[in-house]
Amino acid sequence: MGNPASNILSMKIATKGIFTFAGGTHPPQSKELTAESEIQRGPAVKQAAVMLSQHLGAACQPLLRKGNMVQAGQKIGDSDAFVSAPVHSPISGKVKDIALQSHTVLGRSPAIIIEAYEHNPTKRPVADKFTEEFDENKYSAEQICDAVRQAGIVGMGGAGFPTRVKIEPNPQFPKETMIINGCECEPYITCDYRIMLEWTNQIMAGIKLARKASGCSQVLIGIEDNKPEAIEVMSTVIEKSPNRDGIKVVPVKTKYPQGGERQLIQAILNKNVPTGGIPPMIGIVVLNVATAAAIAEAVVDNTPLTHRVVTVTGEAIDEPGNYYVPIGTSVEELIEFCGGVTQKSAKVIVGGPMMGIAIADLTTPITKTTGAITVLTKEQIGKAKFERQQTPCIRCGRCLEVCPEHLNPTKIAHAVKNNLLDVAESYYISGCMECGCCSYVCPANIELTGYIRTGKIFLARQKKKIPE
Amino acid sequence: MLTDLRVSCAPHISKPLSTRSVMIDVIIGLVPAVVAAGYYFRIYALILTSTCVISAVVTEWLCNKILKKPNSLDDFSAVVTGIILALSLPPSLPIWAAIIGSVFSIAIGKMVFGGLGSNIFNPAMAGRAFLTACFGMLMTSWTVPATIDTTMPKISAENTIHARTQATPLAWSKQAIKTKTGAEVVNEQFKDTFTGEVGGCLGETSAVALLLGGLYLLIRQTIAWRIPLAVLASAFVFSAIGYLTDNTAYASPLTHLTSGGMLLCAFFIATDPVTAPLTGRGMWIFGIGVGAITMLIRIVGEYPEGIMYAVLLMNAVTPLIDRLCKRIPAGGKPSA
Ligand code: SF4
Ligand code: SF4
Repeated sequence: MGNPASNILSMKIATKGIFTFAGGTHPPQSKELTAESEIQRGPAVKQAAVMLSQHLGAACQPLLRKGNMVQAGQKIGDSDAFVSAPVHSPISGKVKDIALQSHTVLGRSPAIIIEAYEHNPTKRPVADKFTEEFDENKYSAEQICDAVRQAGIVGMGGAGFPTRVKIEPNPQFPKETMIINGCECEPYITCDYRIMLEWTNQIMAGIKLARKASGCSQVLIGIEDNKPEAIEVMSTVIEKSPNRDGIKVVPVKTKYPQGGERQLIQAILNKNVPTGGIPPMIGIVVLNVATAAAIAEAVVDNTPLTHRVVTVTGEAIDEPGNYYVPIGTSVEELIEFCGGVTQKSAKVIVGGPMMGIAIADLTTPITKTTGAITVLTKEQIGKAKFERQQTPCIRCGRCLEVCPEHLNPTKIAHAVKNNLLDVAESYYISGCMECGCCSYVCPANIELTGYIRTGKIFLARQKKKIPE
Repeated sequence: MLTDLRVSCAPHISKPLSTRSVMIDVIIGLVPAVVAAGYYFRIYALILTSTCVISAVVTEWLCNKILKKPNSLDDFSAVVTGIILALSLPPSLPIWAAIIGSVFSIAIGKMVFGGLGSNIFNPAMAGRAFLTACFGMLMTSWTVPATIDTTMPKISAENTIHARTQATPLAWSKQAIKTKTGAEVVNEQFKDTFTGEVGGCLGETSAVALLLGGLYLLIRQTIAWRIPLAVLASAFVFSAIGYLTDNTAYASPLTHLTSGGMLLCAFFIATDPVTAPLTGRGMWIFGIGVGAITMLIRIVGEYPEGIMYAVLLMNAVTPLIDRLCKRIPAGGKPSA
């Protein structure tokens, strides 16, 4: 397959990104800690706490009771709601309890706690099952959508929007373009990078399946140009793949938050998703590379999403690396598996340092959207940030300059601080994607993102009239 | 296993930047101008500069004590104000006047508004305006740089300068406007304004030194590039209009740009973040306004200089500019 012209093209793969968005910043990448570390199998856990809500949308209802036996891969929670995704057990064992666990976003929320059987083989990645010749036409669009729903796949890049809802054709908003997000702009994290290098065929299969299900004619794979190897392997696998028409790798400039879906769309297609809107409104579906891999596994292998690759990293971690981890593993167990932490650790973050959430409760379980655990030392956090010293805003405009959503962070943050929520709204607080760029650059060390997030929560409460 | 974990909202890392580091950058950017002032006006320039800096710092310390506010000296903004004020003073100014100017700059120009970040007017310009209002004479007599042979007045044979003082190029050009002759002489002086061998305020005479410092700040991205560009471009355009209508009466744009504190203003005064607009569009308007008002004052008004008034006027409308130049989100205004 492949005509000579495209073979010539394939010899010279441009890995330099020319596309980007306006705004953004360049935090130190710190990816070298784990970029070369191959995906290894994670701990054989004794216990897994599977959160009943790991996605946007309705939480699942438990399908089991305390004391029930459960098999690895068995569905243990589901919901009738359209925007939802079932959850499955990563291990075989017994339901120990259904209890509250710490969730990074939702706070204490219910989880099914499963105690593992004595002999519980750890699951392997299935990447070897996929070849370049993968033909998605063996599966119908409905079959794919159904498998994706049954496997409980959600966006694995962060927000956790149920993938079925994303890829299923919607007569109101026909989909034209699918963007595969391989940017991984967050510092420290390398799980998507490793997946692209090691699971290339699986991702490709997932992309083609998702394209088939969604009916998109064009697929653009956005990868930051600090990952030339990933750009090369992905481009090469496209060249070798049947039915590759319309699938293309687009290198984009390395800049935080290039991996934000709105920023990626802006960079690649020069289109803006309306403020407060979502990509489907302009005919675009954005999927993360890990999600694509999960789709392939779900459709071809019929396995649900029970494991994911997590980067365990940070200068305070003894053996940083990328691990294939059962969902429901506690952060504590995972850190211990990676050799524990050094004494200097000051912060444990679920996610990366720009958008991740610092936790105090190390029993917090890994969820479908947890891409990384980053443990930072006081030095990395920086003295000012560590001690949280703020000085008055000097109106330098740096926060405006970097805001990828072109907002006025200082005005919004100070409005929230002074409890002027209507002023905050008049400066479009809802447009904030909470990327953290503004706080990152502020010389006065003001927690702009924190104030804005707080303001959004207050506004949501006000609107829903939820009592404090 | 792990105790004493910090939790706080994201992001958990930050750029190694602080108000202090920004101010130190500005001070570094001012060094060439101070050195040039020391070279042209000798030891008295340095005495004047240190007087301003010290009195500014002491005033801020005292104000904090009196207002029972936490110490704010470590942000170094008082030092910046002191240097900028000094650079905008005539070299012959008595020490006591410089002290009064600095005290006013900090106490009234900054601290009564609530300290750094809350002041409306550029403190140094507020101090200078106060001095001009009180001691007009002192503020407009210009010592000839020590490097010039004072027995050979630079400007022209028939002018009446005394041995020790000399009109600034702009004051001279003002004269030229009235008499409708002589702007050529001023324009010939362009070379001298570029290196600094002319009469004028401490820091406004050497364009090279100011450009050097300004460039440093631009490269370090310490100041917003839009403001200097807007100030200089609009001043250029407006002075060019004057020059093209009558080049015997009006000085050339290059003379205007390099003299009368235009560069000091463009790089160090108008770029004071606290008193300039926040938004990009606002910065353009602000810069263009400063340049235009300055040229209006220089060409049409009575004063030969005008920077100070232009900056103070634009400072006053900055909140308005910010309100009018609201940013539009990347995705457009929300439809809801
Ligand atoms: S970056 Fe910080 S100091 Fe600068 S304008 Fe924004 S909030 Fe103010
Ligand atoms: S205001 Fe929101 S979108 Fe803009 S930089 Fe700050 S966190 Fe990012």
